[in-house]
Amino acid sequence: MMDRLEQIREQFLSTADGWAAVHARADAVDQVVAPRFESAFGSGAASGVALLAVGGYGRRQLFPCSDVDLLFLFERTASAEASRDSIAGFLRDLWDQGLRASHSVRTPSECAALAANNIELHISLLDRRLLTGDQALFQRLTERLTGFYSRERDTLLRGLAGLIRDRHAKFGDTIYHLEPHVKDAPGGLRDFHAACWLAQLAGGPAATPEQYWPEDSRGAPLEARRFLFALRCHLHYFNDRDNNILTFDHQERLAASTDPALWMRDYFRHARAIHHLAQRLVDETATPPHSLLTLFRDRQSRLSNADFAVTRGRLYLRRPETLETDPGLVLRVFEFVARHGVPLSPETERRIAGTAPAFRVHLDRARRVELDLWPSLAAILRLPHAYRALDAMRRTGLLATLLPEFQIIDCLVVRDFYHRYTVDEHSLRAIQTLQDLAGSADPLTARFAALLAETERPEVLFFALLLHDVGKGASAAEHVAASLDLAGPAMDRLQMPETDRETVRFLIRHHLEMSATMTQRDLADPAAVEAFAARVATIERLGKLTLMTYADIAAVNPDALTPWRKDLLWQLYVAAHNHLTRQMEADRVAAAQVPPQLGSTEAERRAIARFLDGVPTRYLRTHAPEQILEHFRLEETFRRNSVAIAVSRRQEFYELVVLASDRPFLFASIAGTLSSFAMNILKAEAFSNRAGMILDTFVFADPGRSFELNPTEIERFRVALDRVILGKLDVRDLLRRRPAPPAQRRPRLLPQISFDNQTSAHDTIFHVIAPDRPGLLYDLASTFSFQQCDIDVVLIDTEAYKAIDVFYVTCAGQKLETDQAELLCAELHQACCGAD
Amino acid sequence: MKKIEAIIQPFKLEEVKEALKQVGLDGMTVSEVRGHGRQQGHKEVYRGHEYNVDYLPKIKLEIVLPDNRLEETVRALSGAARTGKLGDGKIFVFPVEEAIRIRNNDRGEGAL
Repeated sequence: MMDRLEQIREQFLSTADGWAAVHARADAVDQVVAPRFESAFGSGAASGVALLAVGGYGRRQLFPCSDVDLLFLFERTASAEASRDSIAGFLRDLWDQGLRASHSVRTPSECAALAANNIELHISLLDRRLLTGDQALFQRLTERLTGFYSRERDTLLRGLAGLIRDRHAKFGDTIYHLEPHVKDAPGGLRDFHAACWLAQLAGGPAATPEQYWPEDSRGAPLEARRFLFALRCHLHYFNDRDNNILTFDHQERLAASTDPALWMRDYFRHARAIHHLAQRLVDETATPPHSLLTLFRDRQSRLSNADFAVTRGRLYLRRPETLETDPGLVLRVFEFVARHGVPLSPETERRIAGTAPAFRVHLDRARRVELDLWPSLAAILRLPHAYRALDAMRRTGLLATLLPEFQIIDCLVVRDFYHRYTVDEHSLRAIQTLQDLAGSADPLTARFAALLAETERPEVLFFALLLHDVGKGASAAEHVAASLDLAGPAMDRLQMPETDRETVRFLIRHHLEMSATMTQRDLADPAAVEAFAARVATIERLGKLTLMTYADIAAVNPDALTPWRKDLLWQLYVAAHNHLTRQMEADRVAAAQVPPQLGSTEAERRAIARFLDGVPTRYLRTHAPEQILEHFRLEETFRRNSVAIAVSRRQEFYELVVLASDRPFLFASIAGTLSSFAMNILKAEAFSNRAGMILDTFVFADPGRSFELNPTEIERFRVALDRVILGKLDVRDLLRRRPAPPAQRRPRLLPQISFDNQTSAHDTIFHVIAPDRPGLLYDLASTFSFQQCDIDVVLIDTEAYKAIDVFYVTCAGQKLETDQAELLCAELHQACCGAD
Repeated sequence: MKKIEAIIQPFKLEEVKEALKQVGLDGMTVSEVRGHGRQQGHKEVYRGHEYNVDYLPKIKLEIVLPDNRLEETVRALSGAARTGKLGDGKIFVFPVEEAIRIRNNDRGEGAL
């Protein structure tokens, strides 16, 4: 026996034919097991017992260190009981031969009675093989099992699908592990066998999984099977035990002269083929006829539209041939996946993968005619199931076509003690982490969820996450710089707006900084927080960097983001947020701080310096140079007309910029005019310079689409605002004519008003959290004006139905007295409740 | 043999590790913990809301060492972990009855 096993080993080491090796070992073990059984129990029918090989051994696939699975089949339990000693003796004999046997003793009726909590038994019997003993008894078992499998087919299919899902979940539902388990992980050998069992259960004993696989690509899973069989044999021979983890050491050894990272890409290619095969078989065979899942899928099928049909929870193309003529359809497919979370059918996936060349031509053409690709990608990234869409784009090769920079981290293994997944998987998981934040019951996690909910243009953050580690494919040591180098051309090709590019560059450049600061700096030390806040510069960037850090840590491995780390991260966020908020009004721009890139001539630079003199420094940090130049150019109109107004569309929102001479009620009047046109103010900021010119910016939504559907309406608004600012029209008259806002059912929220006289050197700060409603900002701002207060800085934010407003206020150039501030709080409270 | 349990500020971990290395100590167990002593928690204000930070993130170090190494180790540890402010942490010292290396059953100081 030992000689034969040694021969098999040597043959394997020279041919690397795992398939042959496992069959040869099974045959060799047969030669040992059968005679010993016969000498213990007698042969043939006389024995009254049949010895069956089950599981891998039953398939005649016995890996070098796998257990030998045996089943003793008795007609009756009583005879099994009587044979207990003989069985023990027989097993001891096998142990002495160096065979590790695991055994069970059953009767045919036990084998053919459904054990809902032991689906594994029924599955292992699919691979039964009579080794020796009572053939008639074995025949009776086969007859009973034929009826049993046909009767319980759906239950067994569902049970098996459940086992597959549970096993995949244990491995984070991904094949992309740095040190994969080649048997149990998704894409491992167990998946291949599961596909075989599903095929047999659904189509009878002779059915193979290949029948369910498109004819033109049947080679892929078979090639993968060959690879995985050889791999597991290697691991068994090397470890000298049933250990199936492909560790870094093994990767290095098996890659031999090849780069282990490249060799691992081969592994993932094969694992992907097997994973697809198993997935496809689950889809095709294990759909429950009547269940909640079916009801859910039926509901999903109502999502079908002119382009797509959703059948059994999978997306199909109605006219696949149009992929060739309408490459835009490809992006629409992924937008649909990102919106509804419906996975592609294997058929659709294959077809889309086949269109990659045509899609590349389409992208080149789009670039030539300056078609904006960024909005299409941004639309996908913004949607709730973006991770699924990106994962499908990766599998079909479309992600690499759209972003060739991503290709260099495809299946990339970078050895690291903490990381569990390949670099591409880590990047996509980071995005998934953020998208899964919503609805978390954990209060600590809910804080980050709220931060994400109020983040503007989250797609820019997701894009930065997608590319933050691409540099690891170029230089593992200096990956941040390499990622920045790669992100530049990608953003050029997508024709991303400069402000978005700047944010992406900032996030990639600093993506490790927050995690380092929170563990290496004393967060109670104001100097440490100040230094960090100075690098981040704005509250908007701080929010995005915090979320990026959260996602980046969480996607390292499932245990990396401990509550401890979440706590530290949140502390740093709050400390930096408070720092940035408090210094907001204190620092004013002096001529020397004006960025040199502003202005092309010395005269222009001087004029810009005069324009910016005395504006809070926050203005410089929150506006890109081109925005500052736009505002500066408006100043000429302001000089001529005493007022300058610019309204522009920014994707789904509008932005209003107003330059005017300061006067009481001015801010309130602008807010009131917007409300009178039924606009919904989402953000507002007020700045002023030393010369008394105010620069107010408002971001607002047009829920009734009146600006979009009726372009002259914008002009009417501009004229009305002009007259209001110049005092020719009373905003209260406009507001009286305002159409009543539609009644909305919202959770009850009581207004919370507070003031703070400590943190700012010059201003009293009022915090207002109140249910948002049309005209709220006008009412709040008017309340300050009625009390002869000046609003120096205002930060308006809207989070779902909640308005979160911060006002920096002075009265006659001084902070407010406590009793005056308290009185104002009461009046602001009144103003918040005014419309109720 | 003695066991040191030290609760220190997270940002002091690297400095403490370096200081212990300087006195020839490499082995230690590090855990992320949360708690408070006299520093108590504190109130944090965020967007005008106050919320309590009851338990502060800290690092716990556990070191077992021969008796004669105790004093210099404690000196190195407390020197590196000190900022002089509230919240620097604590060092606890316990007697250890036995140490066993699982690999080969070495016992006593030889197992450290």
